[in-house]
Amino acid sequence: MSLLLNELGNGIFLGAFFGLVALGYSMVYGILRLINFAHGDFFMVAAFVSYTILGAVLVGHNSHGQWWTLLWVGVVVMVITGGLNMLANQIIYRPMRRAAILSLMIAAIGLSQILENGVLVTPQWGATYLVYPVTSPPAGFNLGSNHYTWAQLIIVLVSGLLALGTYFLVGRTLLGKAMRAVSEDRIAAMLMGVNVDLVIAIVFFIGGALAGAAAVMTGVYYGQINYLMGFTVGLEAFTAAVLGGIGNIGGAMLGGLVLGVVQSIGTAVFGSEWAIVVAFGALVLMLWFRPTGLLGERVARRM
Amino acid sequence: MNRKSFGLRVIASGLLVAGMLTVAASVSTVTAAGAAKKLPPYLIGVPMPMTGAEAQAGTQIYNAELMAAQQINKHGGVLGHPIKLLEQDDACDAGTAVNAVNLLVSKGVKAFVGGYCSGSVLPTEPIISRAGLPYVMPAANSPELTTGGYKDMFLIDPSGSGDGAEAAAFFKQQGITKIYIIDDQSSFGVAIADAAAKDVAAAGGTVVDGGVQSIPATSNDFSAVISQIKSSGATGIYWSGYFSQAAQFATQLNAAGVIGPNGTAKFVVADGSVDATYLSAAGAAANGTYATIAALASGVGNVLGSHADKVFNLAYRKEFKSAPGPYSAFGYDAITALVLAAKHVHSIVPKRVNAGLRTLHFVGLTGKISFDKTGNRLGATMDLLEVVNGKYTLAKPQP
Repeated sequence: MSLLLNELGNGIFLGAFFGLVALGYSMVYGILRLINFAHGDFFMVAAFVSYTILGAVLVGHNSHGQWWTLLWVGVVVMVITGGLNMLANQIIYRPMRRAAILSLMIAAIGLSQILENGVLVTPQWGATYLVYPVTSPPAGFNLGSNHYTWAQLIIVLVSGLLALGTYFLVGRTLLGKAMRAVSEDRIAAMLMGVNVDLVIAIVFFIGGALAGAAAVMTGVYYGQINYLMGFTVGLEAFTAAVLGGIGNIGGAMLGGLVLGVVQSIGTAVFGSEWAIVVAFGALVLMLWFRPTGLLGERVARRM
Repeated sequence: MNRKSFGLRVIASGLLVAGMLTVAASVSTVTAAGAAKKLPPYLIGVPMPMTGAEAQAGTQIYNAELMAAQQINKHGGVLGHPIKLLEQDDACDAGTAVNAVNLLVSKGVKAFVGGYCSGSVLPTEPIISRAGLPYVMPAANSPELTTGGYKDMFLIDPSGSGDGAEAAAFFKQQGITKIYIIDDQSSFGVAIADAAAKDVAAAGGTVVDGGVQSIPATSNDFSAVISQIKSSGATGIYWSGYFSQAAQFATQLNAAGVIGPNGTAKFVVADGSVDATYLSAAGAAANGTYATIAALASGVGNVLGSHADKVFNLAYRKEFKSAPGPYSAFGYDAITALVLAAKHVHSIVPKRVNAGLRTLHFVGLTGKISFDKTGNRLGATMDLLEVVNGKYTLAKPQP
């Protein structure tokens, strides 16, 4: 039993990452109905950008837990990644707004390739596994028979706060109301005076920024980055978004947590080689019995 | 391996440089006559991961091959034929590798020198074997590569089947009986882990949790596995995958208090995880962890930092403005082996080069090179390395 509780803790930690990246998927899907396959690669680009900034800032004293430096670098990286995601929207998706959604998806896959190979050929980045300049100290606390580091706790808290912030932004503010309006009926929203292009741009910005935050935390906790790291994260985040009910803010976070927990418990019960099978099996069952996802009843309203 | 033989290797490796020059000198006389005839280039196919997860290792080996080819060409090439390497990306993917190799065969290459991921080399063996071409592999070393019955496959990196036996001997020496074995689901990792499980059982140990476990090569979170290890009571942990995941595994095991100052377990990795990136990425968590690697490999690739290694490193750094990888020297030796075999039989005709490779004996950067009947490298013994203060050292005592 204590093993299952430990795996629950592990799963929640893992799920915090999935959920944060899933939010970006879900928001973009909610507003454009586009599955943005390049989203995971913005996460990867954010990791490399933060690697370079941290490397420049921390020359000489690279070590554990530079928390304040991490905080401001994290915010800068969120802004940069948000900006890049917004730029991608402006350059690629916006001119294609009247195109079939499949064309947009293929454009997203193309963008994903450009980002991966762009990082591959960039000097100082390339194909190597880069060691992140800041790593998290092993100090922490025990819960049950499991040891959790303070960094893990901070990561879960930061993810939770960012998700809550996004939830309130979409649910309680005028901007959020505009987003929901655009999501529901773009033409009607436009006729009501909503600046649709601006709203879509902001959604891309927020999605990118959340991926940026997840990237910095991944770098700090897992300690190394690689130009292909976005693919797996993207796939798992996409699964989380579908599991929770794609287009739904709370659903993305919940889906992330459920996916993380299912993978960890799956490891405990069936062994680690079955973890992914169990996770995707859960997804198949979910789609079978509840095609709209966990929080999917609101899917008609999407955001 | 003892200190003495290590010293011998350093000298032996030094001899190679002299040997290469002699070869070059004798070859150049052939060129003088051949130059007028303008012999066609000696086309060598190089399937190698240049993109994808293993692009780093692939590039490092290919660069070393280029370096070897350039030096040989500078001195007149192979029997007057300038070497031309035709590189094709195999992306460490079986399907891509088959296409790449078919393309290279159709371009008329006379030999293959390449491959890093055993999983993408295996399906290309029948194609190359059917074409009757020699295949010298610098780094791929799954035991399966030479058991498929395909002729003319030559492994410069000794087959990884010794890794498990060395680790099992170490666990036995340490009195560790409960061992958790985990692989990365790659062809190489699975083969090594399965071999290790047999070796552990033979040494009287128990593989806990019902046998070999595995985790996808794309996963960077080992927390669920670590909880399993804790509840299984294992005090020996064996990882057969590659270095990037090894570093994350070690870091997380250390943070969880399984290994390191607060832990009681010993963490041992196979040769796919011996890499400078493992040391830098795992940092302090790497200290006190162990690795098994072929004895002739541990003297090169900057692992233990021998003299010949330093000379090679300098030349490589000068040429490519970056450090060579652990398998770069093997790439250099692979080209050298092919060229010496061709020279020995006075022909670049594949059939004759194959015969030349089978009887080849020379001292390369990675030590003495000769092959047994199946193409495995002869005389491979294993070293156990321990990480001390962020550096690989020979563990004492050796099991």
